[in-house]
Amino acid sequence: MNHLELGEQGEQLAVDFLKKQGYRLLARRFRTKIGEIDIIVKKGGMIVFVEVKTRRSSLFGTPAQAVNRRKQDKIINTAFKYLNYTNNTGVPIRFDILEIMITGESTAVCNHIINAFGR
Amino acid sequence: MFAQVFGSTILGLNGMLITVEVDVSNGIPGLDIVGLPDASVRESRERVKAAIKNSGFEFPTRRITVNLAPADIRKDSSGLDLPIAIGILAASGQIPAASCTRTAFVAELSLEGKLRGVSGLLSMAMNSIANRLAEIIVAPDNAREALIAGKFTVYAPATLEQIVSHLREESKLAAVVNNQKVVEEQWHNEDFSEVQGQMTAKRALEIAAAGGHNVLMIGPPGSGKTMLARRITTILPPMIRQEALEVTKIYSAAGLFKSHNIITIRPFRSPHHTVSQAGMIGGGSIPRPGEVTLSHNGVLFLDELPEFPRAVLEVLRQPMEDGEVHISRVNAALAYPAEFMLIAAMNPCPCGYATDTEKQCTCSLNEIRRYIKKISGPLLDRIDLHVHVPRPSYTELIANMPAESSAQIAERVSEARKIQLRRLEKFSIACNAQMGHKHLKATCQLTDEAQMILKQAFTKMNLSARSYDRMVKVARTIADLSQADRIDAVHISEAISFRNHLQPL
Repeated sequence: MNHLELGEQGEQLAVDFLKKQGYRLLARRFRTKIGEIDIIVKKGGMIVFVEVKTRRSSLFGTPAQAVNRRKQDKIINTAFKYLNYTNNTGVPIRFDILEIMITGESTAVCNHIINAFGR
Repeated sequence: MFAQVFGSTILGLNGMLITVEVDVSNGIPGLDIVGLPDASVRESRERVKAAIKNSGFEFPTRRITVNLAPADIRKDSSGLDLPIAIGILAASGQIPAASCTRTAFVAELSLEGKLRGVSGLLSMAMNSIANRLAEIIVAPDNAREALIAGKFTVYAPATLEQIVSHLREESKLAAVVNNQKVVEEQWHNEDFSEVQGQMTAKRALEIAAAGGHNVLMIGPPGSGKTMLARRITTILPPMIRQEALEVTKIYSAAGLFKSHNIITIRPFRSPHHTVSQAGMIGGGSIPRPGEVTLSHNGVLFLDELPEFPRAVLEVLRQPMEDGEVHISRVNAALAYPAEFMLIAAMNPCPCGYATDTEKQCTCSLNEIRRYIKKISGPLLDRIDLHVHVPRPSYTELIANMPAESSAQIAERVSEARKIQLRRLEKFSIACNAQMGHKHLKATCQLTDEAQMILKQAFTKMNLSARSYDRMVKVARTIADLSQADRIDAVHISEAISFRNHLQPL
């Protein structure tokens, strides 16, 4: 399994996880020239932009640590594009990180970091 | 959603009411603080965030803007943590916004949500009273300081959580009350009776204490100059409430206020001779009080005067004359009070024995001259009483004759002060040393004989106008000590005898 397939698998797990938590899926892999947002969901009137990070081990730091300042800015700017595109400018928003740790053949651990970053 | 809460900060010695405005709106989640916050205020972002979360409340995932008004003055107090946190809670609807309109909030927050004390609280509390706020919420460490400020309701809860339930009217806090009696009694572990002999020096210090004059003690090493100086606080009159309040305010602002009650003992500051100019008169980007201000209404003791850098001694000139220092920096120009009594001690020459009657001085004339030159004429001119402190003889040293105790001297001093206060009350000054030329004219009548002596001294000693004034002031104090109405020949002669001893060398 290469890194792309791993990411795809992780995202699928993330969507399932979020749906179970009562989030409604709005978009997946929303891409613009500036950047990409993995998952956009909505719950209780708040739009949540989720960055999914999938890892097989934490040997290279936790997944969330890979979302550095530059990546955060990219996500924030892309989120603005999405809000404009969908005419949703007055809605409360939030940025989450979802860490997926694939621990075995058919087991994975999810760590949902709510309100992970902002400005 | 918008909320407004009152906080306070300190500029110089005066508190300043800060209106903390908080707006919570949609947008990228984050907290912005505007209104010229200094580093300690900008860092409060993280403390406030953690404190709110760890106290079990919700930190809104919204765009939060905090404005500190007035926006043109630099704020530098961690005490703004609490009003910012309360403002955020009020703006996000977690506490009723109307509940905090008459309260000042001053405390630093720990990450856990506990309240920590801040320095300068006394001034902030007094300023809040002046701004007609009815109550103040402070950290438990600051409770006693807030009570000194005056009549108003003080709450000192330990945690942010307690404040919130108080404002939500779930469980009311109990106001702090002053149940500790004011201990007026001064207690010293030093006494003048421990100093054998040195009658002239003791007399000079008594006069100095009575009139608030400056003293320079000259003598060989080990003759007791430092010992004498340290005992001066034991004979100084107690501070009146106004003075005590000023001193307490200064120590509170400088972060040196440790006691539980208003400071009643006059400060005694003895900076080491490596002190810098800024350390002496105050400094910093927002100027902080220096040694002269910390010795306001008390004693500034400079041991080994010639060892101080010349520049440091020269900055003393203006505060000695005006009783306050003006410090201008980019961020603020402030005036600090500096009504202190200077007591200085020095050796007459590098080896120390130039004035000794028995031991031979080993310094050359040039060395002595260079040593004395380190202290400028204008500074010496401002020191009213010069006194030699000789090495005590063996018989003096082992004498069992009880010397006069501090209490006895203090009684005479306080009598003399009372006379001065009665006479100078209408000019709103407290002691003879603070008199200006016009006060001198109005209050110091000399007898004809005294006038004659003064005239002779003025021409013979080539006195300056200032030293003339100072000499009359000292004579006035001597007259007050003997409870005389007019300045007589004895008084003026004694004043002259304490005049500049450094020049004939």
